[in-house]
Amino acid sequence: MAADAGAQVTELTDEDHACLTFGEPEELADLTAAFIRDGLAGGLKVIWLSDTSAGAVAELARRGIDPGPALARGQLAANACDGLLLTGQAFRARDAVGWLAGQLEASRREGFPGLRVAVDMSWALRPVTGVEELPAFEEGIAAVLADSTGAVLCQYDREKFDPVTLASVAGFHTRSVAAATYYTDPLLRICRQYAPPGIRIAGELDYQAAEPLALALAEAVRLGGDITVSMTAMTFIDARCSLMVADAARTVAAAAHRVRLRCLPEVAAGFARLGVADVPGITVVTDDR
Amino acid sequence: MTADPGPSLPPRHPAAPAGPLLEQRFDAGSLYALRAAVSAHAAAAGLSKQRVYDVTAAVHELAANAVLHGAGHGQVRLWTQDGFLHCQVSDAGPARRDDSGIPPRAVPWPAKHGHGLWIVAQVTDKSSIDHSPAGTTVTARFALSPARS
Repeated sequence: MAADAGAQVTELTDEDHACLTFGEPEELADLTAAFIRDGLAGGLKVIWLSDTSAGAVAELARRGIDPGPALARGQLAANACDGLLLTGQAFRARDAVGWLAGQLEASRREGFPGLRVAVDMSWALRPVTGVEELPAFEEGIAAVLADSTGAVLCQYDREKFDPVTLASVAGFHTRSVAAATYYTDPLLRICRQYAPPGIRIAGELDYQAAEPLALALAEAVRLGGDITVSMTAMTFIDARCSLMVADAARTVAAAAHRVRLRCLPEVAAGFARLGVADVPGITVVTDDR
Repeated sequence: MTADPGPSLPPRHPAAPAGPLLEQRFDAGSLYALRAAVSAHAAAAGLSKQRVYDVTAAVHELAANAVLHGAGHGQVRLWTQDGFLHCQVSDAGPARRDDSGIPPRAVPWPAKHGHGLWIVAQVTDKSSIDHSPAGTTVTARFALSPARS
């Protein structure tokens, strides 16, 4: 039941031109944060082009990544796509590829061993002239990245982009990336979480999904470090699954690691009844997001 | 076999009124729909967000018990009476051999079995369980103006 759609975001190398598909904003933020975190840790220059840059830096901080020092020394830049990849409602593949080539050159001049760029492609869903040049843009990126030390993570919303568009750009990428998914159906999604490490659960969770939940929790425990179980989009959890999460949290805490259980207040009350919040190392964080 | 965690409301299993708020059958495949319906009616009855969640959780656990250990399917009725939201879960399954009923609220978290009924005991204001040749009926009651939020 553990199905990985392509590579993990943490497996990307500094030569990859990867196509990331995501299903929800939380998943996009998680995978992007991991890509940025690993790039910064490797000493690379990192550019994050989001749909709107507002809140982007705060999102990193929310995930335990302090962007301040990297921003201050010019290692990290967070910008909106508009004005860099496109101008207003006009897109030209040649100009956008030229911008990327310029950034690669600039990062070399600045002494960075490589460049990572995360690009949210949501702008292409809006009325933009030249959007038909999207395949040419992706082809151009592949050409620029060849024999370079640059990696680009193109991010496509798999629910909003039509399959034809996704298929037309897929061939220009060296890898496809998605969150490792333990279970997904219209009512429930259990995914690996990368930044911070752990798992993410959205929807309604009951005993019928105990098997994939057990697998997800076991893998999180095996990470051997601090973990976060993000359940802020989980609107129901039954007794059996609550116990499974509580047991996994106790196991991790017993190994002197920290566990954060992020959940809605109603769900937090259930964990409180189990005494989970009283265990040293376990923090239950209520979140209405 | 009957068990009751505390002073019961007479009568223990008041009959559902002719037109209950909700009367819905369930099986393993329809627990989600059952939770959605129960949640909507509990909210409409004026309960707080937390209590709506508690009602939904209690009914889910009782229904899941019927699915897993009883007839495999059953019926839920909801109605308001005497200042309580009554949630009655019934199934035609035989009495469970190891079913000792709903534990008193003060009983600590069980290590192995009975998680669902333990949750029910924690969140309900009154609850009772009856087994008969016709099956098992559990009635959980939630005060409409609860002392606890």
